[in-house]
Amino acid sequence: MTQNDNREMARFTLMGTLFHKLGMFLMHRTAGQQVVLFFRALGSLFSKSRSFKTDSKNIIMQTFFTGVEIFPILFVVATLFGTVVIVEIMTLMGKVGFSDVVGSLMVVVIIRELGPILTAFLIAGRSGSSLTTYVGSMVISSEVDALASMGVDPIRYLVMPGLIGGSIATFIMTIFFSTSAIVSGFIVTKFVIFISGNALNLQLTWDYLSTEILKAMSMMDFVLIVVKPLIFGCIITTNACYQALNIPRDIRQVPKATSRSVIKSFLYIVCADVFLSLFYFFDYFNEISKII
Amino acid sequence: MQDEALRVEDLHLTYGNLAGTTVSKPRALGFFEMGKTAPNDKELISGANLLVKRGETLCIGGPSGQGKSAFLRVIAGLSRPNQGRIYYFGEYIPPERLTALEVAKRQVGMVFQNGALISNIRVKDNIGLPLRYHKKGNAAEIEEKIRMAMDLMRVRDSADLFPHQLSVGMQKRVAIARAWAMDPQLLLMDEPTAGLDNYNRRNLLPLIDNMRTLFKTSIVIVTHDLMMAKELDCNICFLHQKTLTEPKSFDYWVDSDTDISRELFRDVRTSG
Repeated sequence: MTQNDNREMARFTLMGTLFHKLGMFLMHRTAGQQVVLFFRALGSLFSKSRSFKTDSKNIIMQTFFTGVEIFPILFVVATLFGTVVIVEIMTLMGKVGFSDVVGSLMVVVIIRELGPILTAFLIAGRSGSSLTTYVGSMVISSEVDALASMGVDPIRYLVMPGLIGGSIATFIMTIFFSTSAIVSGFIVTKFVIFISGNALNLQLTWDYLSTEILKAMSMMDFVLIVVKPLIFGCIITTNACYQALNIPRDIRQVPKATSRSVIKSFLYIVCADVFLSLFYFFDYFNEISKII
Repeated sequence: MQDEALRVEDLHLTYGNLAGTTVSKPRALGFFEMGKTAPNDKELISGANLLVKRGETLCIGGPSGQGKSAFLRVIAGLSRPNQGRIYYFGEYIPPERLTALEVAKRQVGMVFQNGALISNIRVKDNIGLPLRYHKKGNAAEIEEKIRMAMDLMRVRDSADLFPHQLSVGMQKRVAIARAWAMDPQLLLMDEPTAGLDNYNRRNLLPLIDNMRTLFKTSIVIVTHDLMMAKELDCNICFLHQKTLTEPKSFDYWVDSDTDISRELFRDVRTSG
């Protein structure tokens, strides 16, 4: 072995050691372990014990559990939220003479940002917390241990359906929330205008609103409408299951884990949203550089 | 080697290793730090050795809080020992691979003290869950196996009930049926008679005995109920002073002059 080879080998070993140390550091952190749990749950889809019939049944049940039960509250919140946003934007933009940016603002506020985030918050608060309580209770009553001792992988049996079903439900509910916020918000606003005798002097028609919104939507919006809720859904369910599976054998820890699950989901969702917003920045930067 | 079901060599376990052993951390991550003991961590088991032959039934007794259930959890792969070697049917599983899923692959079943039935599915589905998961036959074969298990443990009338609708004794019988359905070669039972009245206890013991005689299943039972060892005609060993004694017959312990037998068999001796 030449001196060059030795140096190359030393550098390779150093890089390997650094990666190993970094890996070990992340593995000891909650976030790192959650990432591993996420990939293990996804990987379990392809395990030997997979059964299309059972898996699809579990995933559909989890989708219903996550989505359907939250449906009424989500609809009410979306309607009220849509009304507030439409009235505020129309009034404010009308006053300052920027009525041509109404569509862009609606897209940013409802479709791009607050729609997905509010939906994710509601799902984390309602379904994420239920999932933590459900799995946490199973841990306390040794049901998870019983699954493992029967050779049934708890990650495959409990986490995987929650992950896939939760993500699908979050996606569907986000689309539903944004649509409800715009449509119901429009209807309620028209009703308010009618009742108040158009005291705010709003010139609001469906054609105007829908054309403005569609005009303001970019390709990135269509991509992120799909990607963002799926990421939020993965975050909520992985975090909920992780918090539950790590409950010490003490019943008092279940409510603590549940609140930890909700709070951490909020934090992770906002962090992920900030990260995803960077794509808009790069998109905008690209457009500017093209113009220049 | 060929006729041994379980061999435990020099097993050490601390309280620290026993606590917080859930699925995702670190077990599910396949991530271990072997041989490390936290400072001030107290030893629960120190150098335990055990040999269970195929088809043998063995009871592990001892005062409360000595670590009997903890010992069983280690054998089932639910807790990680600090040190020691465990062989299942002559096959050694290295500590970093010693998980419940790995142990279950070696046809080792476990019956928990509280039954640990999955609460949101019916009795028949609880018994069928591992069979369907491991695809032990087609739908008709699995149904037949579930029916056999329910008949053996006399829980057929409760097939459509949920676990919370069952009595404690019934839950235990369903838990045994669930474990039996997987054809375990080694069955670990944690306090199978705890919380049962005399009638249910009397009914349960022949069922356990049937498993041994009909199916040649090796059974390790952790129990306070020393009379069970007499009725099952099996050896008993005790977890005493952090280690396991030699397995001996019920009569041997009654007649012996050791501290443990004086303490635990006092009532048996006085009643004659």
